Amino acid sequence: MSDATMLLLVCLVPLAGALIATLAPRGASSLARHWAAVVMAATLVLAGALFTGFDGAADPRLFEVKLRWIDALGVNLHFALDGLNLYLVLLTALLFPVVLGSCWRNALGASRLFAVLLLLLEGSLLGTFLAQNLMLFFIFWEAVLIPMFILILVFGGLRSRQGAQAFFLYTLAGSVLLLAAVILLGVECWRQTGRWDFAFDVLQTLQLGWQSELFVFAAIVLACAIKCPLVPFHSWLPLAYGQAPPPATALMAGVMSKMGAFALLKLAIPLCPRAAAAAAPYLVLLAVASILYGAVLALRQEEFKSLVAYSSLSHMGYIVLGVFSFEPNALHGALLQILSHGVAVAGLFVVLGLLEERLGGAYRQLRSLSSMAPRLAVVLMLFILTSVALPLTSGFTSEFLILFGAFQRSLSLWIDGAGGLQLVAVILACSGMVLGAGYMLRFARAILFGTPGQQGPCADLNLREALVVTPLLLLILWVGIFPLGLMEKTGGAVQAVNSRANGAQTAPLASTSTFFVTGGSHGQ
Amino acid sequence: MASDLFYGLVPEQLLLALVVLLMILEMAGWGKRLTRALFCLAAAGGCAVLLWQIGQGYQGWPVPGQIHIDRIALLGRLVILGCALVLGLSLPAGSGSFKSWMLLACSLLGALIIMDSAGFSSLFMGIEMLSLPAFALMVHRLEIHGAAEGAFKYLLLSAVASALILFGLSLAYGATGSLAIADFTAALATGGALSLAAGALVLSGLFLKAAVFPFHGWAPDAYAGAPLEVTAFLASVIKAAVVLALVRILPGAPLPADMVSGVICLALLSIFYGNITAIGQSAFKRLLAYSSIAHAGYMVFALADSTGGRQEALLYYVAVYAVTTVVACACFGQLCRGRSDELEALDGAFARRPGAAVLLGLCVLSLAGIPPLPGFLAKLFIFKSVIASGHLLAAVLAFFGSYLGVVYYLGIVYRLFRPLQPAVEGKQPLGQRWAWGGMIFGCLVLGLFLAVPGVFRWLLGGA
Repeated sequence: MSDATMLLLVCLVPLAGALIATLAPRGASSLARHWAAVVMAATLVLAGALFTGFDGAADPRLFEVKLRWIDALGVNLHFALDGLNLYLVLLTALLFPVVLGSCWRNALGASRLFAVLLLLLEGSLLGTFLAQNLMLFFIFWEAVLIPMFILILVFGGLRSRQGAQAFFLYTLAGSVLLLAAVILLGVECWRQTGRWDFAFDVLQTLQLGWQSELFVFAAIVLACAIKCPLVPFHSWLPLAYGQAPPPATALMAGVMSKMGAFALLKLAIPLCPRAAAAAAPYLVLLAVASILYGAVLALRQEEFKSLVAYSSLSHMGYIVLGVFSFEPNALHGALLQILSHGVAVAGLFVVLGLLEERLGGAYRQLRSLSSMAPRLAVVLMLFILTSVALPLTSGFTSEFLILFGAFQRSLSLWIDGAGGLQLVAVILACSGMVLGAGYMLRFARAILFGTPGQQGPCADLNLREALVVTPLLLLILWVGIFPLGLMEKTGGAVQAVNSRANGAQTAPLASTSTFFVTGGSHGQ
Repeated sequence: MASDLFYGLVPEQLLLALVVLLMILEMAGWGKRLTRALFCLAAAGGCAVLLWQIGQGYQGWPVPGQIHIDRIALLGRLVILGCALVLGLSLPAGSGSFKSWMLLACSLLGALIIMDSAGFSSLFMGIEMLSLPAFALMVHRLEIHGAAEGAFKYLLLSAVASALILFGLSLAYGATGSLAIADFTAALATGGALSLAAGALVLSGLFLKAAVFPFHGWAPDAYAGAPLEVTAFLASVIKAAVVLALVRILPGAPLPADMVSGVICLALLSIFYGNITAIGQSAFKRLLAYSSIAHAGYMVFALADSTGGRQEALLYYVAVYAVTTVVACACFGQLCRGRSDELEALDGAFARRPGAAVLLGLCVLSLAGIPPLPGFLAKLFIFKSVIASGHLLAAVLAFFGSYLGVVYYLGIVYRLFRPLQPAVEGKQPLGQRWAWGGMIFGCLVLGLFLAVPGVFRWLLGGA
């Protein structure tokens, strides 16, 4: 099988699988579930093969496929694996079977609709990450909303309608401007080159006026800030995370929130480097605000679900901090944090789903889990420690790299006399790690240890569930202990983004800060 | 010439033959079961002939100066007949008397004549032939309370629209000395008070028929008063014919600047008014009416284009919109047969009839313009040509307007997937059952549009 076919298949297999799953008879629902598992396993194998075959140092376009669709408009089915989407493809392909496995025996797993929606979601997520055409990207970016909306609506909690609607309408509101920006870029391309094209590499070569660049950048950042979410745009998050069933929340927090971070790397910086450079200090402040706000709110939560929801807000802030620090280390950290947080938060929600399956609503009063179900307690503790960023887990590697890079950048800014605000912000961001340890460990103490409450017995992890969480734990340890092998794969992409962000990079790195200061007046 | 008169107008001849045949059958009192099949046969035959003619690159002047068969005429008729075919296939098998099928065919004939005309007299005749049978269809089976009111409003405002168009035509005749559409278009492009006034009057008349914002008053009552079949017909074929008449009159040349700003204002008002009012509706047909006002806004928006992408964009939009609407109506008809058209009938529909519910959900999301459904591509084509013509601000406003529309479309999806309340199901009086054939055919057509979005550009380019 050629590489291009594999790339196309990784995206098509889940979508085609979803179509076939709709044909499963209504009564024999386990058929749909088994079929979905087979399709997801096939996707995982394909994604794994792509991942191991990818070598970022060599040609980054090793895996590329391009098919004509709307040729006259320049919207083509163009997929490629580059360093930026490498982790995300692996993460997506890995999380879906895990999530399906975690609810294999309960009502969710028995539903044909659930299997179909999961497959649709997986296919459109992979499409979003792999797309190399802006319009195609946008189409997949929006298509993701439909299955998730129905997942929350049908399988959600008591207020599922509000949750689903808040999720859909908020995210779509961000996309309205994004679509305008996308079309504007297409029109610019048409004016400058005489033909319509939405391919990323063509759009990067356009000479945008300062006004249009600012508009495009603002639209992209708004859409991403809602998706991630960042602080003033997060109000859909508690409602949607709280109302969605735990498997859907695992996917939302694990993969879908990463779409925002990915789009910042993939769209915002390469397409509008000047605007990105000018806005970076403000976005860093916003990211730090997210980190602290999320952590402080998480400290005050009594309930597991909302605690993890707010902690996820805090951790997404780290990613944005890393992205807009414009340092190779911080970028590596941001990419690793995408992977690490995706695995950790999905793991937390999967365990929560297991608890809810066992205890129903009573899991909220759960105490002393370690004495009743030691294996489950160990798994939960490992996910918690990753969230706390304990060394040797993936959380430490990524957050350390992000803070290290951000620190380098802000220090050099300070030395160059650009003000110490960013330095103060980054130092404050470090305290987010302390706060994170605070809320997570407080929670662990409450649920894992302590005196047993009134709740009934809680079964321990069985073989299927153990198999389901093992890959996540392995990945956490792998990233925590040997991150270098992974970082080599994405090195090329990180360099490309970094040099794009730091201007044409004719000057050495140290002098980028002067560009930084004058960036605002650059294009006027 | 004589062969042109026959060969060029085969679809029209087929419809005429159908009308005559139905009359004879009714007098004989025989073959009521065959009516739907005959109608579909005529429509399908017409489509096949049109496809053949497109393949041949056929052109002709069956009636010199009045009827001109060119590429747009072929494509426009194909769109209208195809949509009628989808409608015919999805209508309940035993539904309607001979008369209603006859009226349907007559109205369709008017739509085809609009698409053929190169002169204003035939265009006007087509418009009248389109509207009058529709009025008769609305009052034909007076069982719905308020049908007469809606139909009467439609008749009255249609008459006003005709008067506006006629007045505009007389001004145009005064300005150019001819009744050819091409002369009118040329005069409009060069400007001048007289031709501008003529253009404004003709456009207002057509906007009234298409239910664009300040002229929309008839639509909600007429849609809500008519039976669901007729509502589907009004929202699909009639809307398509009127909008394609706009394409026929203003094929590609940019409008004068004053007119463009007026058109943009009306389009935006239409989009906002339709979408905001639709949010509060609780009945399906009224919701469809308000959403059709909003969609008329999007279609009119394409007239602001000055890059020459108007024909392609509007053909695609109209085709997708009309077929989607018919399929949505058919799904709704399946989900709540024999009941009123309250949206509550959709509650928990997914649990009862998953196929139709999913299809209705998809149609509704496509109408809302959510990617990757065809409705999104249709909007994209229009917005792209508007932005390329330099109206970025207007386009952003229209985006926000369409965002408002998502709210009520999502409300429908919510109802479909809502957990089923027990004990609502009882022995409902079953009405006629809408057929699956139209839905399947409609989905195939929409799938084709999704897979080959450039189909109209390709067909137009081959002229």
